[in-house]
Amino acid sequence: MPSRRHFLAGLTAATLSPIRGWASVGAPDFLAAGLFPDGSHRLAGLNEQGETLFSVPLPARGHAAAAHPFKAQAVAFARRPGTFAVVVDCATGAQIAQLTAPEGRHFYGHGTFSPDGTTFFATENNYEAGIGVISVWNADSFVRIAEFPSGGVGPHDMRLMPDRQTLVIANGGIQTHPETGRTKLNLPVMDPNLTYLSLSGTFLEQISLPRYLHKNSIRHLAVRQDGLVGFAMQWQGSTSEHPPLLGLHRLGEAPRLLSAPDKDQSMLQGYAGSVAFSADGTAIAITCPRGNVLHQFDVTNGTFANAHALEDVCGLGAGSDGLVFTTGTGLFGTLTGLSPMIRAHAHCQWDNHLIPIRHPE
Amino acid sequence: MRYLPLLAALIMPVVSLAQDRAPILMDVTETHILPRFDKLPETTGALVSAALVDCTPTSPGLRAAYDDAFDSWISASHLRFGPTEVDDRAFAMAFWPDTKGFTSKALSQHIASKDEAVQSPEAYAETSVAGRGFFALEQMLYDPAFADQGDAEYRCALIQAITADISANAQAMAEDWLSYAPNLTRPGEDSRYRTQDEAMQELFKALSTGLEFTAETRLGRPLGTFDRPHPNRAEARRSERSLHHIELSLIALRDLAARLSFDYPEIATNLDAAFARAIEKAQSIDDPALAGVADPQARFRIEALQQSIRDIRAIAFTELGPTLGISAGFNSLDGD
Repeated sequence: MPSRRHFLAGLTAATLSPIRGWASVGAPDFLAAGLFPDGSHRLAGLNEQGETLFSVPLPARGHAAAAHPFKAQAVAFARRPGTFAVVVDCATGAQIAQLTAPEGRHFYGHGTFSPDGTTFFATENNYEAGIGVISVWNADSFVRIAEFPSGGVGPHDMRLMPDRQTLVIANGGIQTHPETGRTKLNLPVMDPNLTYLSLSGTFLEQISLPRYLHKNSIRHLAVRQDGLVGFAMQWQGSTSEHPPLLGLHRLGEAPRLLSAPDKDQSMLQGYAGSVAFSADGTAIAITCPRGNVLHQFDVTNGTFANAHALEDVCGLGAGSDGLVFTTGTGLFGTLTGLSPMIRAHAHCQWDNHLIPIRHPE
Repeated sequence: MRYLPLLAALIMPVVSLAQDRAPILMDVTETHILPRFDKLPETTGALVSAALVDCTPTSPGLRAAYDDAFDSWISASHLRFGPTEVDDRAFAMAFWPDTKGFTSKALSQHIASKDEAVQSPEAYAETSVAGRGFFALEQMLYDPAFADQGDAEYRCALIQAITADISANAQAMAEDWLSYAPNLTRPGEDSRYRTQDEAMQELFKALSTGLEFTAETRLGRPLGTFDRPHPNRAEARRSERSLHHIELSLIALRDLAARLSFDYPEIATNLDAAFARAIEKAQSIDDPALAGVADPQARFRIEALQQSIRDIRAIAFTELGPTLGISAGFNSLDGD
């Protein structure tokens, strides 16, 4: 159902030119990468019913993508440790530009546009030094214009804060080197953190977990409109321990860690894939593809709400109501009440993440 | 918690048909795992004695005991779960790869400050994990940089402290493995593993990560790229044990693979032949510290060895994995 905001936005777009921006590709709500039956990897635009509005080819298996705030453009990253990302025109499928990591760097698979769409930020690994880097690109020419330290090792997900001038970065803490693939080189001394930087790289705040959780890699992020950050983790310690895989943090405060009762928590194999707040921000969820389950929590009091068994569930985002999710088996579903509803079954395997497209306001 | 029985039935993976895994679980535990952890206190105990008899780094007796003890650790180190993982024991035995040179820094700090932690095993166990274990001992015995740091008396005490800590660690693992074993042999309500399949999956994971570590880290780190090989990143290169570790790990993993695939003779044959090819390749290379990664011709043979180990892993994943109910989820295997 079109909201007043969508309607007005559509009206504005319509008066500017016949059809432009995301409206020209059917006004998708999400981007998702997937593996299609013909063996091709594609980036698709989905609406809240799970309908595929467009799909464009990618050169290899994708990880996350970033949607331009108003142009129908997406930056799709290769899987870690990829050294390139492609900028795709979602209307034509044409590759507008390619971002290539400089010598000695590779991408981690996540990035974000500045609010005005003029700049693009990506998480990178300076792998000889084992230091995380945020690279800055001109979002018209896609020329690399600057870089600054991410504040830790192994930066993975990165989001723009609602103040539109702060980046929040999940420094996963794990050191890898492309020569040894995804081998983790520093588990005994890993030290993940959540770092807040200005758009020019000025250090604002950093939090770490208590020492006994130093092997809990902070990997994926969700941000609520009031600046509350949700972070999902992947446990690299003993498989006999089942630490929390979800945390909440607000600038200037201590983090809160959320966990299901031991019986449920122990089934997750220490692995959360994505995190998202529900549409109204009262709930937060993580997807756990190894445990084949989605866990939902109440944000206010941090209590575990419910678990939903879903095979290979990973992509997660806010719908217009509640949450939406995708699975590696091709399902797209919504979670608005107590039970998930499957809305669509695509003939593809949806990849790790669902990327929300910001509609013009 | 609210599950959806109908939905779950529709979309959960097809569970592999129930099959009695008890004989395999018993066999792997009794004849593959426990003997390895049983041997560890023996060889590391001998290492402690050798260091007490003569702590000179070049002492043949000490170096022989180091080799024996390190052999028994490498032959058990793929069993990196349960008691091996508790308190970072595996890292305390072998802190490698050491990408930022923490081991030499930790040792230099002990020496420079005459750290009194060397006087008791309990105190030494509380020091930096990078300064403990076989790689710390290797630097003390083989790295010229430590031959004249500080005074000889302190260096001797440090070597003895490292060996005593290794031995205490080995003892603790051996004891805990005895009490952990029933988890593997009797899965169920009282076990860490609720089903036999879960226990089998743990063992399969030990096989696949063991192969991955040997191919991608033991070989991948020194190989680097053709243009930029890193011979000085080879594991235990100072004591020229790099290639030996590859052979030891393949021998141990071959034994595990044979036991895990016992119910499927064809898969067992394929795996064993692949292991035979890799071990033969390793034995035909005469380059104990893998220095040849920097030489185009020698490098070719080391790359072929790496490929042969990747081939074993591919067979394990495509043939053995599915028989153990390993679900090949698109996202669950991605690990990102």
